Amino acid sequence: MILLGLAGCASISPEEQARRNRILTQYESALTALRAGNYALARTDLDAALLQLGSNTAGDVSARESRGYFNPESVKSFRGEPYERVMAYYYRGILYWMDGEPDNARAAFKSAAVQDADPETGKYQCDWVLVDYLDGLATTKLGGDGSDLWRRSETNARLNRPPPYDLQANVLFFLEMGQGPVKYAAGEYGEQLKFRPGSAPDPVAVIKVADQTVKVGAFDDLTYQATTRGGRVMDHVLQGKAVFKGTTAALGTGAIIAGTSVAIAGNSSTSRNVGMGIALAGLVSTVVSAATTPEADTRQWKNLPNLLSFAALRLAPGEYSATIEFQSPSGKVLVTREARFQVVTGRDTVLFLSDRNT
Amino acid sequence: MKQRLNVLAAVGITAWLVSGCASGVQNPSGVPVTVLKPDEQGFIAGSGIESQDLVAVTDKMARSLLSTPEIQNFTPAPPRIVLLPVENDTRFPINKDIFTTRIRALLNSQAQGKMRFLARDRMTALEQERALKQEGKLTSNSNPNVQEFKGADFFLTGKLQGMTTQAKGGVSDYVLYTFQLIDPRTSDILWENSAEMKKQSVEDAAYR
Repeated sequence: MILLGLAGCASISPEEQARRNRILTQYESALTALRAGNYALARTDLDAALLQLGSNTAGDVSARESRGYFNPESVKSFRGEPYERVMAYYYRGILYWMDGEPDNARAAFKSAAVQDADPETGKYQCDWVLVDYLDGLATTKLGGDGSDLWRRSETNARLNRPPPYDLQANVLFFLEMGQGPVKYAAGEYGEQLKFRPGSAPDPVAVIKVADQTVKVGAFDDLTYQATTRGGRVMDHVLQGKAVFKGTTAALGTGAIIAGTSVAIAGNSSTSRNVGMGIALAGLVSTVVSAATTPEADTRQWKNLPNLLSFAALRLAPGEYSATIEFQSPSGKVLVTREARFQVVTGRDTVLFLSDRNT
Repeated sequence: MKQRLNVLAAVGITAWLVSGCASGVQNPSGVPVTVLKPDEQGFIAGSGIESQDLVAVTDKMARSLLSTPEIQNFTPAPPRIVLLPVENDTRFPINKDIFTTRIRALLNSQAQGKMRFLARDRMTALEQERALKQEGKLTSNSNPNVQEFKGADFFLTGKLQGMTTQAKGGVSDYVLYTFQLIDPRTSDILWENSAEMKKQSVEDAAYR
């Protein structure tokens, strides 16, 4: 009956779990739409996700449940690890800029930076290159001083150095490459959240448009961001659950053995009853241990890329056709994308291209 | 006695199974539509810019602008004002026009004709209408060839700026709202007022 009760405590209906995965579904749908050029759907999904992301989680029932001993972490409503939340705001920023709203784009990039603002170790915080770079570029284009942000992006650049701002550049290419990191659960009871690395950070993108050929490497690596942010408060909660699970299992096994031994060896009904009582307590402890779920939440935004890149070009008003080749370091063309676009005066033309289809 | 204890234990366990253990779904039956005042904070809230902030800020700006000497004493009255888009320098993407729209609506309802706003956002439609009248395709009560579109006597605009602090699981957001009335001829800032808000929150440990 105890097992039934604890199982009942842990059960979530499929409908409720789908509701708790809603942000994850919206993230993935938005990125698929963005890659397919369906910007309206991407906007809708990202706005819906970010509306929830912006709300406070104090008092959230699913969060409280996930901290309980008998529920896995995955019962909490999905919001994503910091690198996933950064990407949601990053993509929304691209769409705002595409719509001619560089200040709202800047706001989205600033919100992205806040998601990365407080790692446990105090290092590696706010170290996304493009987030700061684009914040500064938008600020400069709006008449402000983005130099501090450019310097910070340059300081944090590990893969390639971002170029100085060109205020005359009016065609912005947002590029992404590779497959992002993959979460998995490690530790004796799966209580540790770990990451398998994504694609290697060495491909390049070659942009050919009009009489210009521009080669750009990656500025940001999502595997680096995912693996260097340090621990989470939830990691300590899961560690506590794992210790509880281990302790109750050990106590339970010991009590069953001891109690059974006493009951068998006992030469009176009292000693037999005591032994049975100890064994029963051991059984209860074993059941409680079995019901304890310290597993880390490995739900993840599956179609994220691993690498982000950017280029800004100057083009006169008119119609253009661009070819973008995603190449390996040796120059082998891996994927080719074509883009037709129009450049108008008074606003930037924004293009988003991925080496992936979905 | 022993039997009574056994019965009580069975009842207790059954009650636990039936009631307390079902996964705690928040508002399982949903929440009916609740009508709130725009200046009320709803139960869905964050540390960003929300309707109650918009209401408080624009109310303050409208009251202040009405008592500006340059507006009250402008000749020839009434002054014509053009709204420029508010600039957003916070971390919250917003509908920027909504601030100036609400200020304009408040002023139009309270100013009693002491100021006029020019519909520059409708210029394309207005120019098309004038062109059709000039071509004789539409009737007109006045000579459509006379330039009657008014120029701006003042620009009204604003800026939202923010500062964010994030520490162990908590975030604090400060937003400064400033609005200005600008003379387009001299670039003088004839009127300026500001409002500021600060909010903070701490996330559940499951998300830190």
